[in-house]
Amino acid sequence: MAAKRRLARIAAHAILIVVSLGVLTPVYWMAVSAISPMSAIFSSTLHLFPTVFHWDNFVRAWRSQPFGLYFFNSLFTNLAIVFIQLITSCLAAYAFVFIPFPGRHAFFFIILMAMMVPMQATFIPIYLMLSQVHFINTYQGLIVPFVGSAFGIFLLRQGFMSIPKEVIAAARIDGASEFHILRSIVLPNAKPALITLALLNFVWHYNSLFWPLIATNSTNVRVLPVALSYFLSQEGGNNLQWNLMMAADLFTIIPVVLIFIFGQRFIVRGIASSAVKG
Amino acid sequence: MIIKNRLLLHNALAGWLFILPGLAALTLFVFIPAGYVVFLSLLRWNLIDVNAQFVGLGNYSHLFASQSFQQALSNTLILGVGQIVILLPLGLLLAVLLDMGLRGTRIYRTVMFGPYVLPLVASGLVWTLLYNPGFGLINQVLGWAHISGPDWLGSSGFALLAVLIMTVWQYLGYYMLIFLGGLQNVSAVLKEAAAIDGANDRQTFWHVTLPALSPSLFFALIICTIQAFQTFDQVYVMTGGGPDGATTTLVYYIFDEGFQMYNIGTASAASMVLLVLLALLTWLQVRLGRRWVVEE
Repeated sequence: MAAKRRLARIAAHAILIVVSLGVLTPVYWMAVSAISPMSAIFSSTLHLFPTVFHWDNFVRAWRSQPFGLYFFNSLFTNLAIVFIQLITSCLAAYAFVFIPFPGRHAFFFIILMAMMVPMQATFIPIYLMLSQVHFINTYQGLIVPFVGSAFGIFLLRQGFMSIPKEVIAAARIDGASEFHILRSIVLPNAKPALITLALLNFVWHYNSLFWPLIATNSTNVRVLPVALSYFLSQEGGNNLQWNLMMAADLFTIIPVVLIFIFGQRFIVRGIASSAVKG
Repeated sequence: MIIKNRLLLHNALAGWLFILPGLAALTLFVFIPAGYVVFLSLLRWNLIDVNAQFVGLGNYSHLFASQSFQQALSNTLILGVGQIVILLPLGLLLAVLLDMGLRGTRIYRTVMFGPYVLPLVASGLVWTLLYNPGFGLINQVLGWAHISGPDWLGSSGFALLAVLIMTVWQYLGYYMLIFLGGLQNVSAVLKEAAAIDGANDRQTFWHVTLPALSPSLFFALIICTIQAFQTFDQVYVMTGGGPDGATTTLVYYIFDEGFQMYNIGTASAASMVLLVLLALLTWLQVRLGRRWVVEE
Protein backbone atom coordinates (compact mmCIF):
# COMPACT_ATOMS: atom_id res chain seq x y z
CA MET A 1 0.00 0.00 0.00
CA ALA A 2 2.71 2.42 1.04
CA ALA A 3 4.78 1.46 -1.98
CA LYS A 4 1.78 2.13 -4.20
CA ARG A 5 1.37 5.59 -2.65
CA ARG A 6 5.03 6.30 -3.25
CA LEU A 7 4.70 5.30 -6.85
CA ALA A 8 1.66 7.55 -7.26
CA ARG A 9 3.59 10.47 -5.83
CA ILE A 10 6.52 9.91 -8.15
CA ALA A 11 4.18 9.68 -11.12
CA ALA A 12 2.45 12.91 -10.04
CA HIS A 13 5.78 14.71 -9.73
CA ALA A 14 6.81 13.42 -13.14
CA ILE A 15 3.66 14.77 -14.82
CA LEU A 16 3.89 18.10 -13.02
CA ILE A 17 7.55 18.54 -13.92
CA VAL A 18 6.96 17.75 -17.59
CA VAL A 19 4.03 20.17 -17.81
CA SER A 20 5.93 22.86 -15.91
CA LEU A 21 8.89 22.58 -18.25
CA GLY A 22 6.56 22.78 -21.21
CA VAL A 23 4.95 25.90 -19.80
CA LEU A 24 8.31 27.50 -19.06
CA THR A 25 9.89 26.78 -22.43
CA PRO A 26 8.38 29.72 -24.40
CA VAL A 27 9.36 32.18 -21.66
CA TYR A 28 12.86 30.72 -21.49
CA TRP A 29 13.14 30.92 -25.26
CA MET A 30 12.03 34.54 -25.18
CA ALA A 31 14.88 35.31 -22.79
CA VAL A 32 17.48 33.30 -24.72
CA SER A 33 16.50 34.90 -28.04
CA ALA A 34 16.50 38.35 -26.48
CA ILE A 35 20.19 38.18 -25.63
CA SER A 36 21.33 36.32 -28.76
CA PRO A 37 22.72 37.77 -31.95
CA MET A 38 20.59 37.24 -35.04
CA SER A 39 23.16 34.79 -36.37
CA ALA A 40 22.43 32.48 -33.42
CA ILE A 41 18.68 32.70 -34.02
CA PHE A 42 19.05 31.84 -37.70
CA SER A 43 21.67 29.17 -37.02
CA SER A 44 20.77 25.70 -38.22
CA THR A 45 22.28 24.01 -35.18
CA LEU A 46 20.13 24.50 -32.16
CA HIS A 47 21.73 25.86 -28.99
CA LEU A 48 19.48 25.33 -26.01
CA PHE A 49 21.76 27.56 -23.96
CA PRO A 50 23.05 30.91 -25.16
CA THR A 51 26.73 30.88 -26.13
CA VAL A 52 27.22 34.62 -26.60
CA PHE A 53 25.45 37.26 -24.58
CA HIS A 54 24.37 40.43 -26.35
CA TRP A 55 23.06 42.47 -23.46
CA ASP A 56 23.04 45.57 -25.61
CA ASN A 57 20.02 44.08 -27.44
CA PHE A 58 17.90 45.58 -24.68
CA VAL A 59 19.30 49.04 -25.31
CA ARG A 60 18.89 48.69 -29.07
CA ALA A 61 15.32 47.42 -28.68
CA TRP A 62 14.49 50.27 -26.30
CA ARG A 63 15.82 52.81 -28.79
CA SER A 64 14.22 51.20 -31.85
CA GLN A 65 10.91 52.80 -30.94
CA PRO A 66 9.98 55.45 -28.35
CA PHE A 67 9.40 52.80 -25.69
CA GLY A 68 9.78 55.27 -22.85
CA LEU A 69 6.75 57.13 -24.15
CA TYR A 70 4.80 53.89 -24.72
CA PHE A 71 5.53 52.78 -21.18
CA PHE A 72 4.30 56.09 -19.85
CA ASN A 73 1.16 55.88 -22.01
CA SER A 74 0.41 52.34 -20.87
CA LEU A 75 1.02 53.01 -17.20
CA PHE A 76 -0.79 56.34 -17.18
CA THR A 77 -3.96 55.24 -18.99
CA ASN A 78 -4.22 51.95 -17.13
CA LEU A 79 -3.63 53.45 -13.70
CA ALA A 80 -6.30 56.03 -14.54
CA ILE A 81 -8.73 53.25 -15.50
CA VAL A 82 -7.97 51.36 -12.29
CA PHE A 83 -8.28 54.45 -10.11
CA ILE A 84 -11.55 55.75 -11.56
CA GLN A 85 -13.06 52.29 -11.71
CA LEU A 86 -12.23 51.73 -8.05
CA ILE A 87 -14.10 54.92 -7.16
CA THR A 88 -17.23 54.19 -9.21
CA SER A 89 -17.28 50.54 -8.06
CA CYS A 90 -16.72 51.36 -4.38
CA LEU A 91 -19.56 53.87 -4.32
CA ALA A 92 -22.02 51.56 -6.06
CA ALA A 93 -21.01 48.48 -4.06
CA TYR A 94 -21.37 50.44 -0.81
CA ALA A 95 -24.88 51.54 -1.76
CA PHE A 96 -25.94 48.01 -2.71
CA VAL A 97 -24.65 46.50 0.53
CA PHE A 98 -25.28 49.14 3.18
CA ILE A 99 -28.01 51.51 1.99
CA PRO A 100 -31.52 50.06 1.71
CA PHE A 101 -32.55 52.50 -1.02
CA PRO A 102 -35.71 52.07 -3.09
CA GLY A 103 -35.18 50.34 -6.42
CA ARG A 104 -31.96 48.65 -5.37
CA HIS A 105 -33.05 45.24 -6.61
CA ALA A 106 -34.02 46.62 -10.00
CA PHE A 107 -30.75 48.55 -10.26
CA PHE A 108 -28.76 45.52 -9.27
CA PHE A 109 -30.48 43.54 -11.99
CA ILE A 110 -29.49 46.26 -14.46
CA ILE A 111 -25.85 45.92 -13.38
CA LEU A 112 -26.16 42.17 -13.85
CA MET A 113 -27.36 42.80 -17.40
CA ALA A 114 -24.26 44.85 -18.12
CA MET A 115 -22.15 41.79 -17.38
CA MET A 116 -23.85 39.95 -20.20
CA VAL A 117 -22.66 42.36 -22.89
CA PRO A 118 -19.23 41.48 -24.29
CA MET A 119 -17.04 44.54 -24.80
CA GLN A 120 -15.91 43.52 -28.28
CA ALA A 121 -19.49 43.59 -29.52
CA THR A 122 -19.85 47.27 -28.65
CA PHE A 123 -16.54 48.63 -29.87
CA ILE A 124 -18.00 49.82 -33.18
CA PRO A 125 -20.69 52.02 -31.62
CA ILE A 126 -18.28 53.20 -28.91
CA TYR A 127 -15.79 54.13 -31.60
CA LEU A 128 -18.44 56.11 -33.49
CA MET A 129 -19.61 57.83 -30.30
CA LEU A 130 -16.10 58.77 -29.20
CA SER A 131 -15.16 60.06 -32.64
CA GLN A 132 -18.12 62.45 -32.37
CA VAL A 133 -16.51 64.05 -29.32
CA HIS A 134 -12.99 63.83 -30.83
CA PHE A 135 -11.72 61.34 -28.27
CA ILE A 136 -10.11 59.09 -30.88
CA ASN A 137 -6.32 59.27 -30.60
CA THR A 138 -6.44 60.76 -27.13
CA TYR A 139 -5.79 59.49 -23.60
CA GLN A 140 -9.45 60.12 -22.79
CA GLY A 141 -10.43 57.77 -25.58
CA LEU A 142 -8.32 55.01 -24.05
CA ILE A 143 -9.71 55.57 -20.57
CA VAL A 144 -13.39 56.54 -20.56
CA PRO A 145 -14.95 53.38 -22.03
CA PHE A 146 -13.73 51.46 -18.97
CA VAL A 147 -14.45 53.81 -16.06
CA GLY A 148 -17.46 51.79 -14.96
CA SER A 149 -17.41 48.04 -14.50
CA ALA A 150 -20.18 45.65 -13.55
CA PHE A 151 -17.56 43.08 -12.57
CA GLY A 152 -15.91 45.63 -10.28
CA ILE A 153 -19.20 46.39 -8.54
CA PHE A 154 -19.84 42.66 -8.13
CA LEU A 155 -16.42 41.88 -6.74
CA LEU A 156 -16.43 44.74 -4.24
CA ARG A 157 -20.02 44.00 -3.21
CA GLN A 158 -18.84 40.53 -2.26
CA GLY A 159 -15.94 41.96 -0.32
CA PHE A 160 -18.12 44.50 1.47
CA MET A 161 -20.70 41.91 2.49
CA SER A 162 -18.28 40.33 4.92
CA ILE A 163 -18.23 43.53 6.99
CA PRO A 164 -20.72 43.21 9.88
CA LYS A 165 -23.74 45.46 9.38
CA GLU A 166 -23.82 46.25 13.13
CA VAL A 167 -20.58 48.20 12.83
CA ILE A 168 -22.11 50.35 10.14
CA ALA A 169 -25.32 50.81 12.11
CA ALA A 170 -23.34 51.91 15.17
CA ALA A 171 -21.45 54.48 13.13
CA ARG A 172 -24.75 55.82 11.74
CA ILE A 173 -26.12 56.25 15.27
CA ASP A 174 -22.99 58.24 16.05
CA GLY A 175 -24.02 60.54 13.22
CA ALA A 176 -21.32 59.59 10.73
CA SER A 177 -22.04 60.48 7.12
CA GLU A 178 -22.20 57.79 4.45
CA PHE A 179 -18.95 59.05 2.90
CA HIS A 180 -17.27 58.96 6.26
CA ILE A 181 -18.42 55.40 6.91
CA LEU A 182 -17.23 54.31 3.48
CA ARG A 183 -13.84 55.92 3.93
CA SER A 184 -13.04 55.13 7.52
CA ILE A 185 -14.79 51.81 8.11
CA VAL A 186 -15.60 50.01 4.88
CA LEU A 187 -12.50 50.69 2.79
CA PRO A 188 -9.94 49.76 5.48
CA ASN A 189 -11.83 46.53 6.10
CA ALA A 190 -12.11 45.59 2.46
CA LYS A 191 -8.49 46.03 1.43
CA PRO A 192 -8.04 42.53 -0.02
CA ALA A 193 -11.04 42.98 -2.33
CA LEU A 194 -9.83 46.43 -3.39
CA ILE A 195 -6.32 45.18 -4.13
CA THR A 196 -7.70 42.19 -6.02
CA LEU A 197 -9.84 44.40 -8.23
CA ALA A 198 -7.02 46.88 -8.82
CA LEU A 199 -4.50 44.20 -9.79
CA LEU A 200 -6.84 42.18 -11.99
CA ASN A 201 -7.97 45.34 -13.72
CA PHE A 202 -4.47 46.60 -14.29
CA VAL A 203 -3.33 43.31 -15.75
CA TRP A 204 -6.36 43.04 -18.05
CA HIS A 205 -6.13 46.54 -19.43
CA TYR A 206 -2.34 46.63 -19.61
CA ASN A 207 -2.48 43.46 -21.71
CA SER A 208 -5.41 44.28 -23.93
CA LEU A 209 -4.89 45.05 -27.59
CA PHE A 210 -8.22 45.42 -29.36
CA TRP A 211 -9.50 48.77 -28.12
CA PRO A 212 -6.16 50.67 -28.21
CA LEU A 213 -5.52 49.21 -31.65
CA ILE A 214 -8.66 50.80 -33.07
CA ALA A 215 -8.88 53.88 -30.87
CA THR A 216 -5.35 55.14 -31.56
CA ASN A 217 -3.05 55.32 -34.55
CA SER A 218 -0.59 58.04 -33.65
CA THR A 219 2.62 57.29 -31.80
CA ASN A 220 2.12 59.88 -29.07
CA VAL A 221 -0.76 57.97 -27.46
CA ARG A 222 0.37 54.46 -28.46
CA VAL A 223 0.37 51.81 -25.73
CA LEU A 224 2.69 48.82 -25.40
CA PRO A 225 0.56 45.99 -26.85
CA VAL A 226 -0.06 48.04 -29.99
CA ALA A 227 3.65 48.91 -30.25
CA LEU A 228 4.58 45.22 -29.95
CA SER A 229 2.06 44.17 -32.55
CA TYR A 230 3.47 46.74 -34.99
CA PHE A 231 6.94 45.27 -34.52
CA LEU A 232 5.82 42.29 -36.53
CA SER A 233 3.59 43.92 -39.11
CA GLN A 234 5.78 46.94 -39.89
CA GLU A 235 9.16 45.34 -40.25
CA GLY A 236 7.91 42.21 -41.96
CA GLY A 237 9.79 39.88 -44.26
CA ASN A 238 13.20 38.50 -43.53
CA ASN A 239 14.68 41.58 -41.88
CA LEU A 240 12.75 40.91 -38.69
CA GLN A 241 14.96 41.63 -35.71
CA TRP A 242 13.72 38.70 -33.67
CA ASN A 243 16.20 39.30 -30.89
CA LEU A 244 15.14 42.93 -30.46
CA MET A 245 11.51 41.89 -30.62
CA MET A 246 12.02 39.38 -27.82
CA ALA A 247 13.94 41.97 -25.82
CA ALA A 248 11.02 44.39 -26.18
CA ASP A 249 8.68 41.55 -25.24
CA LEU A 250 10.69 41.00 -22.07
CA PHE A 251 10.64 44.55 -20.84
CA THR A 252 6.96 44.87 -21.71
CA ILE A 253 6.01 41.98 -19.46
CA ILE A 254 8.01 43.29 -16.47
CA PRO A 255 5.08 45.16 -14.85
CA VAL A 256 2.70 42.20 -15.04
CA VAL A 257 5.39 39.78 -13.92
CA LEU A 258 6.08 41.98 -10.88
CA ILE A 259 2.37 42.12 -10.11
CA PHE A 260 2.22 38.36 -10.50
CA ILE A 261 5.14 37.79 -8.14
CA PHE A 262 4.01 40.14 -5.42
CA GLY A 263 0.25 39.99 -5.83
CA GLN A 264 -0.29 36.39 -6.84
CA ARG A 265 -2.51 35.54 -3.91
CA PHE A 266 -4.83 38.45 -4.68
CA ILE A 267 -5.14 37.46 -8.33
CA VAL A 268 -5.74 33.84 -7.38
CA ARG A 269 -8.40 35.00 -4.92
CA GLY A 270 -10.07 37.10 -7.58
CA ILE A 271 -10.25 34.16 -9.97
CA ALA A 272 -11.49 31.82 -7.28
CA SER A 273 -14.19 34.25 -6.19
CA SER A 274 -15.33 34.94 -9.73
CA ALA A 275 -15.58 31.20 -10.16
CA VAL A 276 -17.97 30.74 -7.25
CA LYS A 277 -19.79 34.00 -7.86
CA GLY A 278 -22.52 32.27 -9.85
CA MET B 1 -43.21 59.51 11.32
CA ILE B 2 -41.23 62.50 10.20
CA ILE B 3 -38.03 60.82 11.28
CA LYS B 4 -38.96 57.72 9.34
CA ASN B 5 -39.73 59.70 6.22
CA ARG B 6 -36.51 61.55 6.55
CA LEU B 7 -34.59 58.31 6.83
CA LEU B 8 -36.34 57.01 3.71
CA LEU B 9 -35.47 60.16 1.82
CA HIS B 10 -31.90 60.04 3.05
CA ASN B 11 -31.52 56.42 1.96
CA ALA B 12 -33.07 57.08 -1.41
CA LEU B 13 -30.89 60.09 -2.13
CA ALA B 14 -27.70 58.55 -0.80
CA GLY B 15 -28.28 55.24 -2.58
CA TRP B 16 -29.06 56.81 -5.92
CA LEU B 17 -26.18 59.24 -5.65
CA PHE B 18 -23.74 56.46 -4.84
CA ILE B 19 -24.71 54.23 -7.73
CA LEU B 20 -24.96 57.16 -10.16
CA PRO B 21 -21.33 57.32 -11.40
CA GLY B 22 -21.07 53.59 -12.01
CA LEU B 23 -24.51 53.34 -13.53
CA ALA B 24 -23.95 56.37 -15.75
CA ALA B 25 -20.68 54.89 -17.03
CA LEU B 26 -22.34 51.55 -17.75
CA THR B 27 -25.25 53.28 -19.46
CA LEU B 28 -22.94 55.33 -21.67
CA PHE B 29 -20.50 52.56 -22.55
CA VAL B 30 -22.54 49.38 -22.33
CA PHE B 31 -26.27 49.92 -22.70
CA ILE B 32 -26.37 52.76 -25.22
CA PRO B 33 -23.70 51.11 -27.42
CA ALA B 34 -25.59 47.81 -27.19
CA GLY B 35 -28.73 49.56 -28.43
CA TYR B 36 -26.78 51.52 -31.02
CA VAL B 37 -25.20 48.37 -32.44
CA VAL B 38 -28.68 46.91 -33.01
CA PHE B 39 -29.55 50.00 -35.02
CA LEU B 40 -26.25 50.01 -36.92
CA SER B 41 -26.75 46.38 -37.88
CA LEU B 42 -29.81 47.44 -39.87
CA LEU B 43 -27.87 49.90 -42.04
CA ARG B 44 -25.76 49.53 -45.09
CA TRP B 45 -23.09 52.02 -44.24
CA ASN B 46 -19.50 52.20 -45.34
CA LEU B 47 -17.61 54.90 -43.51
CA ILE B 48 -15.78 55.79 -46.71
CA ASP B 49 -18.92 57.10 -48.40
CA VAL B 50 -21.08 59.10 -46.06
CA ASN B 51 -24.57 57.93 -46.84
CA ALA B 52 -26.12 55.24 -44.72
CA GLN B 53 -28.99 53.24 -46.11
CA PHE B 54 -31.60 51.33 -44.11
CA VAL B 55 -31.61 47.70 -45.21
CA GLY B 56 -33.57 46.01 -42.43
CA LEU B 57 -32.30 42.52 -41.80
CA GLY B 58 -30.35 42.55 -45.06
CA ASN B 59 -26.98 42.47 -43.30
CA TYR B 60 -27.95 39.35 -41.40
CA SER B 61 -29.05 37.43 -44.46
CA HIS B 62 -25.91 38.59 -46.24
CA LEU B 63 -23.84 37.52 -43.23
CA PHE B 64 -25.21 34.02 -42.90
CA ALA B 65 -24.88 33.45 -46.62
CA SER B 66 -21.30 34.69 -46.61
CA GLN B 67 -18.61 32.07 -46.88
CA SER B 68 -16.10 34.07 -44.85
CA PHE B 69 -18.51 34.59 -41.95
CA GLN B 70 -19.40 30.90 -41.88
CA GLN B 71 -15.71 30.13 -41.82
CA ALA B 72 -15.14 32.59 -38.97
CA LEU B 73 -17.97 30.99 -36.98
CA SER B 74 -16.71 27.47 -37.58
CA ASN B 75 -13.12 28.47 -36.73
CA THR B 76 -14.37 29.95 -33.48
CA LEU B 77 -16.38 26.82 -32.69
CA ILE B 78 -13.40 24.57 -33.45
CA LEU B 79 -11.22 26.68 -31.16
CA GLY B 80 -13.90 26.51 -28.46
CA VAL B 81 -14.35 22.76 -28.68
CA GLY B 82 -10.59 22.25 -28.86
CA GLN B 83 -10.03 24.38 -25.78
CA ILE B 84 -12.77 22.58 -23.85
CA VAL B 85 -11.52 19.13 -24.82
CA ILE B 86 -7.92 19.92 -23.86
CA LEU B 87 -8.12 22.52 -21.10
CA LEU B 88 -10.84 21.00 -18.94
CA PRO B 89 -9.43 17.47 -18.51
CA LEU B 90 -5.83 18.67 -18.36
CA GLY B 91 -6.67 21.46 -15.92
CA LEU B 92 -8.58 19.00 -13.77
CA LEU B 93 -5.74 16.46 -13.83
CA LEU B 94 -3.21 19.10 -12.78
CA ALA B 95 -5.53 20.36 -10.04
CA VAL B 96 -5.95 16.82 -8.67
CA LEU B 97 -2.17 16.37 -8.65
CA LEU B 98 -1.67 19.71 -6.93
CA ASP B 99 -4.29 18.74 -4.36
CA MET B 100 -2.26 15.70 -3.26
CA GLY B 101 -0.17 17.80 -0.92
CA LEU B 102 3.09 17.12 -2.74
CA ARG B 103 6.28 18.95 -1.96
CA GLY B 104 6.81 21.89 -4.32
CA THR B 105 3.10 22.33 -5.00
CA ARG B 106 3.38 26.10 -4.75
CA ILE B 107 6.19 26.24 -7.29
CA TYR B 108 4.30 24.07 -9.76
CA ARG B 109 1.19 26.19 -9.30
CA THR B 110 3.06 29.45 -9.79
CA VAL B 111 4.84 28.25 -12.91
CA MET B 112 1.71 26.87 -14.54
CA PHE B 113 -0.42 29.91 -13.74
CA GLY B 114 2.25 32.35 -14.94
CA PRO B 115 1.34 32.62 -18.65
CA TYR B 116 -2.18 33.75 -17.73
CA VAL B 117 -0.96 37.21 -16.69
CA LEU B 118 1.19 37.78 -19.78
CA PRO B 119 -0.12 39.98 -22.59
CA LEU B 120 -1.45 37.78 -25.41
CA VAL B 121 0.46 40.05 -27.79
CA ALA B 122 3.76 39.26 -26.08
CA SER B 123 3.03 35.52 -26.01
CA GLY B 124 1.89 35.68 -29.61
CA LEU B 125 5.26 37.09 -30.67
CA VAL B 126 7.22 34.37 -28.86
CA TRP B 127 5.05 31.66 -30.33
CA THR B 128 5.48 33.15 -33.79
CA LEU B 129 9.20 32.66 -33.29
CA LEU B 130 8.72 29.14 -31.88
CA TYR B 131 6.52 28.21 -34.84
CA ASN B 132 8.91 29.57 -37.48
CA PRO B 133 9.37 26.79 -40.05
CA GLY B 134 13.01 27.70 -40.76
CA PHE B 135 14.59 28.23 -37.38
CA GLY B 136 11.75 27.90 -34.83
CA LEU B 137 12.40 25.79 -31.75
CA ILE B 138 9.44 23.48 -32.34
CA ASN B 139 10.47 22.28 -35.77
CA GLN B 140 14.12 22.04 -34.74
CA VAL B 141 13.16 19.76 -31.86
CA LEU B 142 10.89 17.76 -34.17
CA GLY B 143 13.89 17.52 -36.46
CA TRP B 144 15.79 15.60 -33.79
CA ALA B 145 13.14 12.92 -34.11
CA HIS B 146 13.51 13.15 -37.88
CA ILE B 147 10.07 14.62 -38.25
CA SER B 148 9.89 17.53 -40.64
CA GLY B 149 7.46 19.90 -38.97
CA PRO B 150 4.88 21.85 -40.95
CA ASP B 151 4.83 25.57 -41.66
CA TRP B 152 2.66 26.01 -38.59
CA LEU B 153 1.32 29.51 -39.12
CA GLY B 154 1.67 29.58 -42.89
CA SER B 155 -0.39 26.57 -43.88
CA SER B 156 -4.17 26.62 -43.67
CA GLY B 157 -4.18 23.07 -42.36
CA PHE B 158 -2.09 23.82 -39.29
CA ALA B 159 -2.60 27.50 -38.47
CA LEU B 160 -5.75 27.04 -36.40
CA LEU B 161 -4.15 24.16 -34.49
CA ALA B 162 -1.15 26.39 -33.83
CA VAL B 163 -3.40 29.13 -32.45
CA LEU B 164 -5.18 26.52 -30.31
CA ILE B 165 -1.92 25.17 -28.85
CA MET B 166 -0.70 28.66 -28.00
CA THR B 167 -4.05 29.52 -26.39
CA VAL B 168 -4.00 26.33 -24.33
CA TRP B 169 -0.53 27.28 -23.08
CA GLN B 170 -1.79 30.73 -22.10
CA TYR B 171 -4.90 29.62 -20.21
CA LEU B 172 -4.01 26.21 -18.76
CA GLY B 173 -3.11 27.65 -15.37
CA TYR B 174 -6.39 29.52 -15.12
CA TYR B 175 -8.46 26.32 -15.41
CA MET B 176 -6.11 24.50 -13.08
CA LEU B 177 -6.81 27.21 -10.49
CA ILE B 178 -10.57 27.04 -10.92
CA PHE B 179 -10.53 23.28 -10.35
CA LEU B 180 -8.07 23.57 -7.49
CA GLY B 181 -10.45 26.02 -5.82
CA GLY B 182 -13.32 23.62 -6.45
CA LEU B 183 -11.39 20.63 -5.08
CA GLN B 184 -10.50 22.48 -1.93
CA ASN B 185 -14.19 23.13 -1.41
CA VAL B 186 -15.12 19.45 -1.61
CA SER B 187 -15.52 18.62 2.03
CA ALA B 188 -13.03 16.28 3.60
CA VAL B 189 -15.90 14.76 5.56
CA LEU B 190 -17.49 13.56 2.34
CA LYS B 191 -14.27 11.92 1.20
CA GLU B 192 -13.68 10.31 4.60
CA ALA B 193 -17.19 8.93 4.63
CA ALA B 194 -16.56 7.37 1.23
CA ALA B 195 -13.29 5.91 2.47
CA ILE B 196 -14.99 4.42 5.54
CA ASP B 197 -17.61 2.87 3.28
CA GLY B 198 -14.72 1.09 1.58
CA ALA B 199 -14.40 3.17 -1.56
CA ASN B 200 -10.94 3.28 -3.10
CA ASP B 201 -9.34 6.47 -4.39
CA ARG B 202 -10.61 5.98 -7.90
CA GLN B 203 -14.18 5.33 -6.78
CA THR B 204 -14.07 8.29 -4.43
CA PHE B 205 -12.92 10.50 -7.28
CA TRP B 206 -15.58 9.41 -9.76
CA HIS B 207 -18.50 9.13 -7.36
CA VAL B 208 -17.82 11.75 -4.71
CA THR B 209 -15.29 14.35 -5.83
CA LEU B 210 -16.35 14.77 -9.45
CA PRO B 211 -20.08 15.24 -8.75
CA ALA B 212 -19.22 17.72 -6.01
CA LEU B 213 -17.05 19.51 -8.55
CA SER B 214 -19.89 19.96 -11.03
CA PRO B 215 -20.33 23.71 -10.35
CA SER B 216 -16.63 24.31 -11.13
CA LEU B 217 -16.82 22.12 -14.22
CA PHE B 218 -19.87 23.96 -15.46
CA PHE B 219 -18.29 27.34 -14.78
CA ALA B 220 -15.12 26.29 -16.59
CA LEU B 221 -17.12 25.01 -19.54
CA ILE B 222 -18.97 28.31 -19.97
CA ILE B 223 -15.93 30.52 -19.38
CA CYS B 224 -13.91 28.44 -21.83
CA THR B 225 -16.58 28.91 -24.50
CA ILE B 226 -16.81 32.64 -23.81
CA GLN B 227 -13.03 32.95 -23.95
CA ALA B 228 -12.91 31.14 -27.29
CA PHE B 229 -15.56 33.46 -28.70
CA GLN B 230 -13.45 36.46 -27.68
CA THR B 231 -10.26 35.23 -29.34
CA PHE B 232 -8.56 38.13 -31.08
CA ASP B 233 -5.13 39.30 -29.86
CA GLN B 234 -3.15 36.14 -30.60
CA VAL B 235 -4.76 35.78 -34.03
CA TYR B 236 -4.02 39.40 -34.88
CA VAL B 237 -0.38 38.98 -33.94
CA MET B 238 0.37 35.48 -35.17
CA THR B 239 -1.62 35.06 -38.37
CA GLY B 240 -3.68 38.15 -39.12
CA GLY B 241 -6.63 35.79 -39.60
CA GLY B 242 -4.86 33.93 -42.39
CA PRO B 243 -3.77 32.09 -44.31
CA ASP B 244 -6.90 32.52 -46.41
CA GLY B 245 -9.19 33.04 -43.45
CA ALA B 246 -8.08 29.80 -41.81
CA THR B 247 -7.71 31.47 -38.40
CA THR B 248 -10.28 34.26 -38.69
CA THR B 249 -12.39 34.15 -35.54
CA LEU B 250 -15.70 35.90 -34.95
CA VAL B 251 -14.08 38.87 -33.21
CA TYR B 252 -11.34 39.06 -35.82
CA TYR B 253 -14.07 39.11 -38.47
CA ILE B 254 -15.73 42.04 -36.70
CA PHE B 255 -12.39 43.84 -36.59
CA ASP B 256 -11.70 43.15 -40.23
CA GLU B 257 -15.12 44.17 -41.52
CA GLY B 258 -15.49 47.15 -39.20
CA PHE B 259 -12.04 48.62 -38.87
CA GLN B 260 -10.23 47.48 -42.00
CA MET B 261 -13.01 47.64 -44.57
CA TYR B 262 -15.29 50.08 -42.72
CA ASN B 263 -18.42 48.05 -43.42
CA ILE B 264 -20.17 49.28 -40.30
CA GLY B 265 -23.45 47.51 -41.03
CA THR B 266 -21.98 44.06 -41.63
CA ALA B 267 -19.58 44.37 -38.71
CA SER B 268 -22.43 45.46 -36.45
CA ALA B 269 -24.56 42.50 -37.50
CA ALA B 270 -21.62 40.21 -36.68
CA SER B 271 -21.27 42.03 -33.36
CA MET B 272 -24.92 41.25 -32.65
CA VAL B 273 -24.26 37.56 -33.24
CA LEU B 274 -21.41 37.73 -30.73
CA LEU B 275 -23.50 39.72 -28.26
CA VAL B 276 -26.48 37.37 -28.36
CA LEU B 277 -24.34 34.23 -28.07
CA LEU B 278 -22.28 35.50 -25.14
CA ALA B 279 -25.27 37.04 -23.37
CA LEU B 280 -26.99 33.64 -23.53
CA LEU B 281 -23.90 31.89 -22.18
CA THR B 282 -23.48 34.37 -19.33
CA TRP B 283 -27.15 34.11 -18.49
CA LEU B 284 -26.89 30.31 -18.44
CA GLN B 285 -23.91 30.52 -16.16
CA VAL B 286 -25.66 32.83 -13.71
CA ARG B 287 -28.93 30.83 -13.66
CA LEU B 288 -27.68 27.27 -13.60
CA GLY B 289 -24.54 28.12 -11.69
CA ARG B 290 -26.56 29.54 -8.85
CA ARG B 291 -28.91 26.58 -8.74
CA TRP B 292 -26.02 24.12 -8.58
CA VAL B 293 -24.10 26.01 -5.97
CA VAL B 294 -27.18 26.13 -3.77
CA GLU B 295 -27.85 22.44 -4.27
CA GLU B 296 -24.36 21.63 -3.12
